[in-house]
Amino acid sequence: MAQINLAHRRTHNLLLISKLLSLRDTASPLTLLLDSLQQPATPLIREYIRRAKLSKVHVTLVAFETLKQPDGVDAFVSARRKSPADLVREVGAAQQLAGSNSSRRRLILIDSINPLLNSKRLEPGFHLPSFLSLFLASPSASATAQLDTSLVVTYHQDSRGPFPQHPYSPSPLSLLTYMATSIITLHSFSHILAQKAARDRSVAEPVFGLDEEQDGVLLGRPDNTVEGIVLELEHRRKSGRGVLEWYLLPPTSRYSPQQVKEVVTLLDDNVLYNPPVQQDSAAGDEEPESTFELRLTERQRRDREGVVLPYFDAQQGNGPGEGGRILYDMGEEDDFDEEEDEI
Amino acid sequence: MPSQPALPPLLAPYLSSLPHTSLTLVSSILGATSNWLVLRFLHAALSTSSNQHAASELEDVRTDEKRKVVFVSFMRSFEFWKSEAKRLGLDLARLADKEQFAFIDGLSDLFYTPQVSSSSASAASPAGRGNSTPRTTLPLRSQPGPLPGRSLQSPAIASGGSGLAPRSQTELGVAKKLHFSGRGTAALDALESDIVSVMQQLKPSAEDGDELLLIVDQPDLLLATTGPSLGIGATEMAEWVAGLQQHAHATILTMAADSPLIHNVSVSRAGGHMPAPIETEHAGFAIGLAHRARSVMQLRTLETGVARDVSGVLRISAGGGWIAGKDENPEKEVLYYIQRDGGVRVFGRGES
Repeated sequence: MAQINLAHRRTHNLLLISKLLSLRDTASPLTLLLDSLQQPATPLIREYIRRAKLSKVHVTLVAFETLKQPDGVDAFVSARRKSPADLVREVGAAQQLAGSNSSRRRLILIDSINPLLNSKRLEPGFHLPSFLSLFLASPSASATAQLDTSLVVTYHQDSRGPFPQHPYSPSPLSLLTYMATSIITLHSFSHILAQKAARDRSVAEPVFGLDEEQDGVLLGRPDNTVEGIVLELEHRRKSGRGVLEWYLLPPTSRYSPQQVKEVVTLLDDNVLYNPPVQQDSAAGDEEPESTFELRLTERQRRDREGVVLPYFDAQQGNGPGEGGRILYDMGEEDDFDEEEDEI
Repeated sequence: MPSQPALPPLLAPYLSSLPHTSLTLVSSILGATSNWLVLRFLHAALSTSSNQHAASELEDVRTDEKRKVVFVSFMRSFEFWKSEAKRLGLDLARLADKEQFAFIDGLSDLFYTPQVSSSSASAASPAGRGNSTPRTTLPLRSQPGPLPGRSLQSPAIASGGSGLAPRSQTELGVAKKLHFSGRGTAALDALESDIVSVMQQLKPSAEDGDELLLIVDQPDLLLATTGPSLGIGATEMAEWVAGLQQHAHATILTMAADSPLIHNVSVSRAGGHMPAPIETEHAGFAIGLAHRARSVMQLRTLETGVARDVSGVLRISAGGGWIAGKDENPEKEVLYYIQRDGGVRVFGRGES
């Protein structure tokens, strides 16, 4: 049953993540990446850019944190000291510049939304949902072809902003998780493995980095044994049904930048996370091993099968007293004992 | 105990080869300060080209490159750094004289306004080296050779400044003193342009292979002393750092990461009461920078208590700005011991 379930998930959910990361069919207009210092989103953003390049998607990076334009980014918009309205305008202008480009699909990456949310210069009237939807709206009415725009927003979970000004307004994180069509939470593979090992032994799961709450520790202890990123995906389909799945993104050194084949695998398919179960079914017939020979030889087994047990004899109905007697044929190896073996 | 090499061999690769536009965050706590590490960064950048004190094989390869350092300190005066650097064999005053090093004092005059004539008040604005205001440090060039430790009377006094103005100018080697005025981003912009003007003086022409290293020591002081009431928060500080980064080859930043400054936000939020503004902003600033940094060097004390032969633990981790595959994983954890003579021994756990 579990095997069938896994095979089903393998086909459907791998197709889903492939669609999401490669931005096919506008599967998710707003993707939220929740990262932390333990597992920054940078490798995943690189993966987005790599796939976008392969399928010739126009990439815009709104850089709150990045200084240098990364390879593969078509338009780089530095967000330093800019108001949200300016940002929307600049991104729109960058998209218009690329208007001649035949590519219909657009990807807008925001490398970190936290500086914007925590900014002191933000006007009180700033409305996060409308700000984000302005990016998604078609930049120019003149564009005849419908543009497929996907927005990928990174939010650092550990960088908590100040309390909301208005006591009844939701926190920016709740707003973002409410609006997003896909939420990808990033975990470090080595930490997931350590936590699973602890769970399997029913001990408390270890915590890393800031969660350790240790003086002077921002990042967890170095661990170079396993690489890879675990993606915890929550995708909301148009129908409203949600899909939850855990994936593993291997480190970039494991595949070539030009590889078109899917590199992401299910976390449950990983041998480190889910070691193959030992086949116990074959071992079911085996007798317990010991230094004594406990097994019967072939002849002993045949003799034992030949014994007619008393209750079979009793069912013959040869009259009372006759049935139920123990009938035993002496073998040659039997030692006749006069006192006991009276017939 | 034998004297240690100025650059501990285990750390040498982390101290010297900093890639372009990289940010290195050094976090410290009260019991494990970052001063020794900052001095090692200074030494790695300046030693080979100044005195032929070959620290390591790694350094010798790069002797032809001229490296320059702009050092902004918000926590300590130049006197402190000068005397500490001398123990490593670095003469900061002479290097400043040779225009390889510039010290910017962010502490003494940050909130102190000298009550003087208007001529010195204009010094808060970016003043070029060739400017004739009394606050510039032009006289350095006319000094014959290195004169460490001895403070000189600035010719600014002779040039007719009032008695108060040259008070700060008597210190040799201080390129500029920062002064905070106004509020919000405008005040930060003024500080930024002050620092950038010094950086520009140091690299008059953009020669290739001229690496300008920027070290900012404890800018969290600026955040702590101003805060949200002056319109300065984590985002504004991070943008300020980003602005400085654009002018430097590599940036090293030290910052306090004591528990109350980092963890009180989440703890008090869980408890349902408001964290103090400094707790929110400092945590946001530190964590935001760690997300941007290429590597984070965290200093802390031993968890197991005080040891006679260990001063603390240095953990080097990849920050959010580290790009997988481009350079090797920098992660490492070592112990260090600061000897009485200022030498530092760095070793792995279980080694000696």
